[in-house]
Amino acid sequence: MYLPGYNRILSTQNVMRRCCIAVLFVVGFLTAAEVCKAYDLQALFGYSLNGQPVSALAYPDTKAVVLFFAATDCPICNRYIPEMQSLENKYAAQHVVFWYVYPNVGETIASVRRHERDFGMEQHVLLDPHHQIVDFVRASITPEVAVLVPEQSAAEQFRVLYHGRIDNRYIQIGLQRPSPTRFDLEQAIEDVLQHRPVQQADGPPVGCEIMGQP
Amino acid sequence: MMRPRTVNLLTVIALSIALSSVLLQSPHTSVHAAADQVTFNRQIAPIIYNHCSSCHHPGGAGPFSLLTYADARRWGTVIENVTQSRFMPPWLPAPGYGSFADDRRLPDEDVQLIKKWVTAGMPEGDPADAPKPPVYSTDWVLGPPDLILKVPLPMQVPPSGTDLFQNFILPVPITQTKYVRAMEIKPGAPRVVHHANIIVDRTASLRHQHPNDWQEGIPGMEVMFDSGDTFDPDSHFLFWKPDTPALIEPEGMPWRLDPGNDLVLNMHLKPTGKPETVQATVGLYFTNKPPVAHPMLLQLEDDAALDIPAGDPHFVIEDHLKLPVAVDVLGVYPHAHYLGKKLEGYAILPGGEKKWLILIPNWDIDRQSVYRYKSPIFLPKGSVIYMRYTYDNSAANIHNPNSPPIRVRAGNRSVDEMGHLWLQVLPQPIPNSDEDPRLLLEQAWMENRLSKDPNDETALYNLASVKMSESDFTFATDLYRRILTGSPEDTRTLTALGTALDKDGNWEGAESEYQKALVSDSQYADAHFDLAQLYFKHNSYAAAEQEYRSLLVEDPKDAAAHNGLGAVLLATNRIAEAQNEFQAAISFDPDSFDALYNLASIEASDKNYPQAIGLLQQALKQKNDADAHQLLGSIYIQSGRLGDALQQFKVVQELRPQDPLPHRQLAQLYDQIGQLNDAIRELNAALALEPGNADDWNNLGVLQARAGNTAAARKDFEHALTLDPQHAAARANLARL
Repeated sequence: MYLPGYNRILSTQNVMRRCCIAVLFVVGFLTAAEVCKAYDLQALFGYSLNGQPVSALAYPDTKAVVLFFAATDCPICNRYIPEMQSLENKYAAQHVVFWYVYPNVGETIASVRRHERDFGMEQHVLLDPHHQIVDFVRASITPEVAVLVPEQSAAEQFRVLYHGRIDNRYIQIGLQRPSPTRFDLEQAIEDVLQHRPVQQADGPPVGCEIMGQP
Repeated sequence: MMRPRTVNLLTVIALSIALSSVLLQSPHTSVHAAADQVTFNRQIAPIIYNHCSSCHHPGGAGPFSLLTYADARRWGTVIENVTQSRFMPPWLPAPGYGSFADDRRLPDEDVQLIKKWVTAGMPEGDPADAPKPPVYSTDWVLGPPDLILKVPLPMQVPPSGTDLFQNFILPVPITQTKYVRAMEIKPGAPRVVHHANIIVDRTASLRHQHPNDWQEGIPGMEVMFDSGDTFDPDSHFLFWKPDTPALIEPEGMPWRLDPGNDLVLNMHLKPTGKPETVQATVGLYFTNKPPVAHPMLLQLEDDAALDIPAGDPHFVIEDHLKLPVAVDVLGVYPHAHYLGKKLEGYAILPGGEKKWLILIPNWDIDRQSVYRYKSPIFLPKGSVIYMRYTYDNSAANIHNPNSPPIRVRAGNRSVDEMGHLWLQVLPQPIPNSDEDPRLLLEQAWMENRLSKDPNDETALYNLASVKMSESDFTFATDLYRRILTGSPEDTRTLTALGTALDKDGNWEGAESEYQKALVSDSQYADAHFDLAQLYFKHNSYAAAEQEYRSLLVEDPKDAAAHNGLGAVLLATNRIAEAQNEFQAAISFDPDSFDALYNLASIEASDKNYPQAIGLLQQALKQKNDADAHQLLGSIYIQSGRLGDALQQFKVVQELRPQDPLPHRQLAQLYDQIGQLNDAIRELNAALALEPGNADDWNNLGVLQARAGNTAAARKDFEHALTLDPQHAAARANLARL
C-alpha cells in the first residue's frame, strides 16, 4: 500500500540530510535547526532526545519498522507502553525496529525524557513536532501504530503496510475489554515477516487526539 | 460542513451587533449577542470546575488536569467525546429513578454547551469572565485526624495486566471503643486506586486467617469475614472513590470501632503503564457521642440462581424481601461483575404503589459506587423490596472476561459473577415495644435466604443468633443442629450449640457439644472458654480451673482467661492468688470491666476503699453497669460519703426501673440523712413495684410514724399484717403506736 505522503517525505529527507549535516559540524544543533528553518526545511524524521535530527529509522538488515505514536500525557497511551515493550523484545531478534514517536506540539525533550524515565528507557525515541511522520502515515491519535517496511532500493524509503490501533482492547474511551481479543499490530508484524498480505484492523484507534499548531 | 459555516455567520453577526451596540449604546442587544457565543471563560470553565476538576487536578485521581484554558483545549475533543457518551463524569443511575445526593450526572444543557464550544474551535473568551479555578490541597480535607492508620507494607502494582483487587489489613491500635464520624483515605497513588470498600473486621478474622503474610494484603475481589457471635449487623457503607476523599457520616450515626477490630481496605487497582507503589493512609475522626440512630445493611441476592449459559445475552435473576418493620432507606449499593447489564431495584408499597430505588441501564463495574439518597425513602411495614438484574454473557458484551463466553456461576473471582443489591436502612422503632427492629429485619432477611436455599449455613447461623438474642434457645438449638447435619465437625457451630443448650438449662448437653468442638479442634479457644464458664457456673471449680489454665498455656496474655481463673480462685477462697489473676487481666486489658469489678470487690472486702473506688470508676468508664454502681454506692456508705452514695443508688434505680431494691436502698439512705419525705416517697415507689412485700409496709409504717402520720402508720402496719399475720415487727410497732 502506497500513501500520498510517501514521496514527499522521501524528497524532504534527501534535501535535509545535505543541509543539516553540512552545518552541524560547524555550529551545532540549534543553529542547524535555525538554518534549516531559514531554508524552510525540516529535520529528517524529527529529533532524538539529544536534540539531534534523526536521519535513519532502519538498519541495513531491518525487516520492518514499527512507529508508536505516543504522548506523555495520554493515559491510554501509557497503558500500552508495557505491551509495546514486550512486542519490541519479542521481535528484536527478527530485525523489527520500534520507534516511539512523540508528535504533539508542546512536547519537549525534557517532558519526553521524564516520561521515558518513569515508563522505561527506549532505544529509539523521536519528537515529530512538524508532523512529518504523522502526515506520512496519517496518524491522528495516540496511541496509534504503523508498520513500515524499507524499500529494497533505498534504506530511507518506506512502504506503510499497516496503520491503526494496537489491539481491540478499547472500543471507545470508557468502553474497553478486560483483555484484547484481536492483536492487530502483532498480527501485522507477523504478516510482514511471513510475507503475507497484511490484515487491517476492524476498528479505529482509541485515545487522545494528536495536537498540532493551535 | 454546515456547522462551521453557521459559526462563521454567527461570528459575523455577533461582530456587527457588537459594533452597532458600541455605536448605538444598546446594552440589550449586546447582552444577547454575548450570550450566544460559548467560551471557555464564560460557560465551559464553570462546568469543568464543578464537575471535573475534583479528580482532574495535579495529584488527583484523574489522569490529567483540567484547571486552565490550556488544559481544556488540550483535552477538548476528549471532553466532548466522553460527555456525549456519558462516560464522564462517572454516574450510572438513570435520572428519574431515585434522587441521589452528590448526583454527578452532567445536565443535558452542559453536554450540549461543551459540544458547541468544541465545534466552534474552543474559544477562550474574555478573561474578565473567567471564574477562579478551584484550589486543591494534599492535606487532610477535614484537618488533622484523631487517628492515622497506614497500610503496613507498600504494594508494587505492575505496569500492565488485568485489574487487581487487594485487601489491605489495618489493625486499629485503640484501647477503648471509638465512634467514627468521618474517615478520609489517601490512596498513596491516586491514579492507580480506582475505588475502595472499607470493611470493619470485628474479629480480625482475615488477619488471623493469614498469620504470616497479612502485612502484604490478601488478593481477592470479595472476601468473607467472621462477624463474631454477638448480633451486630453491619450498618454503614464505607465506600471510597477518588472524588469523595472524606466519608462524613450523618449526625447521630457514627460507626463504632472496638479494640481488636481491623479495618480492611478492599482496593480496586488499575495498572497505569508504569510500575506504581501503593500504600494507603486512613485518617479517622472520632466523636465522643455514641450513635443515637442505628442503621443496618440489608442485602438482596440470588447467587444460587446465577448460572448463566455461555452466549446468553439476557439472563435474569430476581429477589425480593418483605419488610417486617417500617424503614427509611438511606443509601443503595448495587453490585455485579462484568456481565451485569441492567440493574433494577424498587419497592412495592402495601397499597401497590411502585417506588424506584435505583435503575442502572448500562452497568459498568469500573464505575460502581454507593448512592445516598438526597432525602431518605420511607417504606412502610409490609413493603416488598425487589431486585431484578439482567446479565449479558454473549461475546457482544465488551466487558465479558471470557472469550469465547463460557458458562458463568456466582463467585468471588472477577471471571465469576455476582448480583447483590445492598440497602442501608434506618428501621423505625416498633410501636409499643422495646424490641430492636434490626433483629426483625435480620430474621426476615435470613428467612428469605433460607427460602432460596434451606441449607444456607450462614443464614441458619445468623437466624440462630437472632433467636439467641430473643432467648428462644430451643429454636436456636434446632437451627444449629441443622447446620451440623451438613457440617458435623464445624467447631464454631458446635460451640454455639453448646451455649444454646446451656442457656436452655441443658448443661450436660452443652458440655457434650463443647467437648465435641474440642475433639474437632483441640485448640479452639472459644470452646475451652465456654466450657470453663460452664464448669464455673455449676460449681465444678477444679474442671473450670483446668480449662482456664490450659487457655493460659496457649495464650498467657488472654485477659478473659486470667479473669475467669481469678473468679475460680475467689470462689475457692484463694484470695491472694485471685487478686494476682485479676491484676494480670487488667495489665493485658486495662479496660476489662469484669477484672476491674472483681478486683474492686476484693479491695472493698479488705476495706481498701480508695483503691476499690478507683477501680470501679475505671470499670464504669467501660460499662454503665448497675452492679458496679451498687457496689460503689455501698463503698461510699462505708466511707461515710452518703451524698456520693445517694448519687450511685439513683443511677442504679434508673438502670433498673422495674427493680424495687434500689428504691428500698434509697429510702434507707434518705432516712439516714434525715430526708424523711424522700425516704417515704422511695418506699412507696418500691411498694408500687412489689405491693406484696410485708417488710416494706412495716418500714413505711415506721417512717410515717416518725413523720407524725400516726393514722397512715397504723394502716401500713395493718397492711403488713394482712400480708403476713406472723410479722412480729409489724405487730410490735402497731402495739407501740
